[in-house]
Amino acid sequence: MTTQDTQVEKEAGDLSRRDFLGMLGKGAACAGALVGTGSALASAGAGGAHPLGGVGPTFQQDEAQYAEAVKNPPKIPNYNWTQHKWAFGVDADRCIGCLRCVEACKMENSVQMDRNHTRTWVERYAYLEGSNHALVDSIHDIKNVLPGSKETRFKFDNRYKDNQYNGQKVEKAFFVAKLCNQCEKPSCVQVCPTGATYKAVDGPVLIDTKYCIGCQYCVQACPYGARSLNHDRGTAEKCNWCYHRITKGLQPACVEVCPTGTRIFGDRMDPESPVSQFIRNNKVNVLQPAMGNYPNVFYKGIDKEVF
Amino acid sequence: MQLPSAAGWNHKNEGKNMHKHIVRLLTLIAVIAVVALSAKTFFRADTFYQYGHYRGASVAQIAAKTPQHQGSASCQSCHKEVYAEWSSGMHQKAHKDGAVVGTVIKSGVNCEVCHNGPAGNHPSKEPMPLSIEDQVTTITHTRKEIHPANVTDRNLMRDPEDMRILCTTCHEKMAGRPLRGKVEGANVPVQAVTDVVGVAGVPQVVIEGHGGSELCTACHNPHSPRINFAAVPRPPVDPNTGKAIPASAEPAGDVAAGKATAVMCAACHVIGGPNPDPSWPSLGGQNAGYLVASLKAFKAGDRKSELMSPMAQTLSDTDVLNVAAYFSQASCNTSGGDKAKAELGKAKAAESGCAACHSSGGLRSPGKDGVSAARAWPNLAGQNAVYLTASLKFFKDGSRNHAVMSSVAKTLGDSDIDNLAAYYASASCK
Repeated sequence: MTTQDTQVEKEAGDLSRRDFLGMLGKGAACAGALVGTGSALASAGAGGAHPLGGVGPTFQQDEAQYAEAVKNPPKIPNYNWTQHKWAFGVDADRCIGCLRCVEACKMENSVQMDRNHTRTWVERYAYLEGSNHALVDSIHDIKNVLPGSKETRFKFDNRYKDNQYNGQKVEKAFFVAKLCNQCEKPSCVQVCPTGATYKAVDGPVLIDTKYCIGCQYCVQACPYGARSLNHDRGTAEKCNWCYHRITKGLQPACVEVCPTGTRIFGDRMDPESPVSQFIRNNKVNVLQPAMGNYPNVFYKGIDKEVF
Repeated sequence: MQLPSAAGWNHKNEGKNMHKHIVRLLTLIAVIAVVALSAKTFFRADTFYQYGHYRGASVAQIAAKTPQHQGSASCQSCHKEVYAEWSSGMHQKAHKDGAVVGTVIKSGVNCEVCHNGPAGNHPSKEPMPLSIEDQVTTITHTRKEIHPANVTDRNLMRDPEDMRILCTTCHEKMAGRPLRGKVEGANVPVQAVTDVVGVAGVPQVVIEGHGGSELCTACHNPHSPRINFAAVPRPPVDPNTGKAIPASAEPAGDVAAGKATAVMCAACHVIGGPNPDPSWPSLGGQNAGYLVASLKAFKAGDRKSELMSPMAQTLSDTDVLNVAAYFSQASCNTSGGDKAKAELGKAKAAESGCAACHSSGGLRSPGKDGVSAARAWPNLAGQNAVYLTASLKFFKDGSRNHAVMSSVAKTLGDSDIDNLAAYYASASCK
C-alpha cells in the first residue's frame, strides 16, 4: 500500500466519522428540542428576571408568559398576583426564641411534626468570651425539644444559665429566625427537572406537589438550607409565606403568632405596609448576598456569622 | 514508509457499513422523537407553560388551601368573658394590628400563640377539610393538644405542668433574649419605650427564684398576666365550661361549728387580747384561706411544730374549714412594737417589696399595709413581733419553706428582721 493510498483512505475515514458524529449531534439536538425540557431554553432567555424585584417577568419567565400572567392571572378570588410583591422582615433584636412560629407553621401547613422537618426554624448564636466563633444551636438539637413530647413541642434549652457555659462567660447571644428567602433568582427553581417549583409573579417560590417527584435536587441547590423532603408526602417541603393565607389578605401563620413582632410581612408595592416601613426605617441586610440569589427576607440585627 | 495494512482494511470495511448504521440510528431517533412528542402532547397539563415552565393551574390550587389560624377576633364571638379579660390585659395591650411605632412593629400575644393548635374550623365537629397538599397523602396529627372541638377530650392546657412549660417558653430568663425596654441599636430612652406598646423583650424570670413550686397560674391570670391581688389565688376553672368557678361555690366554713371546735385553740390563741406566749400568733381576723392552708400543712407534716402538729391531726377537713371561718371573722388585736425599730422596718418593707403581697393594694397602688388582699396570704398588721421574727428566721434557715418567702427572707439580716417585725406588729389591723 502506498502512502498516498493511506492518506486518501484516512481522509475518507475521518470524513465519515465527522459526518457520523455531526449527524448524531444534530439528531440529539432535534430530539432534545422536540422533547423540550424547556428549562434550559427558558433560562437562556431569562434576561427578563428583575434581580431586585419589581414589575415584570420573574425568574425563567419570558415576556409572552408574563403578558399572559397579567392578562389571565390565576383564578384566586379577590386577588391579582400582579398587584403585589411580597417581602418578609426579621428583626433579630426582638426575637426571644419562643418557637411559637415553628409550631404554628407545622400545624398551618401540615409539616411533619418532628424536629428534622421544618419550613421555618430559629437558631441561637452565642459567643463565649474571647471567641470569634459562635456556638449555634437550633431545634434540630434534641435538647431543644421538650422531653417526653415525641418531638412535637419545642423550647430552647437554657444551656447558658447565668450567661455561663462550661465556666466561660457568654459575651453575646441572640436568636435568628430562618425561613425560605423566596429569592429573585432561586437556585432551586433552576435545578428542578419537572417544573414542580417556580417563582410566582407576586414573589413566593411555590411547589406544585402534583409534579414534584421528590428527587431533592432543589434541597441540595438551596444555599440557605430552606428546603427538605417531606417523608410523608414524598415531595419537597419549603416555606411559601403561607401563600393560601396571604392571597386571602391574612398574614403568614408565623407572623400571626409571633408575640414580639420579630416577624414582619407585607407588600413592597404598598409603601406603608409593615415590611416597607421596616426596610425603610431600619438598616437591613440579606443572608449570603454573594450567592447572587437576591433574597427577599430582610434581616435586622444579625451578626457576620449568620448565613 | 508503509502503514500496517490491517488499519487500511478496517477503514474500508467501516466506510462500507456506515450508511446502514446511520439509517438505523436515525430511524431510532425519529421514533423516539415521535413518541416523545406525542407523549408531551397527551400527558402535559393544559396550563403548563402558561406562565412559565410550570403548571399554571397549580398557583390557584395552592392558594385555595384553607387557613388554619383564625386570629383572636374569631374567638371573640363565643368566648366573650375570656376575650374581655384578655383585651384589657398586658397580653393584648401589645396586640398586633400591623401598626408601626417608631422603628418597630406592634406585636401582641393573641389567642393562638398559647392555644395551639390553630382554631381551624372550630367549633364545627366535622373533621378539618383536607388541603390540596394533604390529598397526596393524608396526614394524621396525633397531637392531643390540638385545639379544641375536633378532639373529644377538649384539652385546653389545664394540665398544670403544661402551663408552667408554656409560660416559661417566653418568660424564662435566657441568654440571647432581649431584655424588656431595651431596644438594641435604637436610640430610645428606656423610660420612653416602656410606655410604648410592642417594644423589644418580655418580662423574664429566673425560674428557681420565682414562685418555686407554685404554678404560674396561682398568681397570674394567663389571659391578663399582671397580678390582680384581689383574685389570688385564681379561682379554679370548671373543666367542662372553661369558666371560673365563683368564690361562692367554694365550700365555706360554718362559723358556729367552728366556735365550738375552737374551744381547744382558745387556750393559746386568745381572741381580742394578747396570747399567753408572744411567740404564738394571734389569729383573730386572719385570712381564712391562709388558716386553712396552714392547718393542712401542719396536718400533712409540710409545716412542723411540736405544739401544732398533734393538734391539727385531730381536725377533720370540715373542722379545718369551720375553725378558719371562725377565726377569720373574729376581731383582731394590734400588739404594737418598738417605734424606733418600726420606722426602720417601714423603710425596709418598702425596699424589699413586702407590699407586693402583704398590702391591700399591691405594689403599684399600696393600700392598707400589713393587710393582705389575697385570701391565701396572711395578714401581718398587729401580729406579735416575736412570732413574726421567728417566722422570718425559720424561712431564712429553711426550717419553714415557701416559694416566695424563703427567697425573700434570705435577703434579710437579723436586724432587718427585727425592724420588719416591729413595723408590722405596730401597724393597725383594723
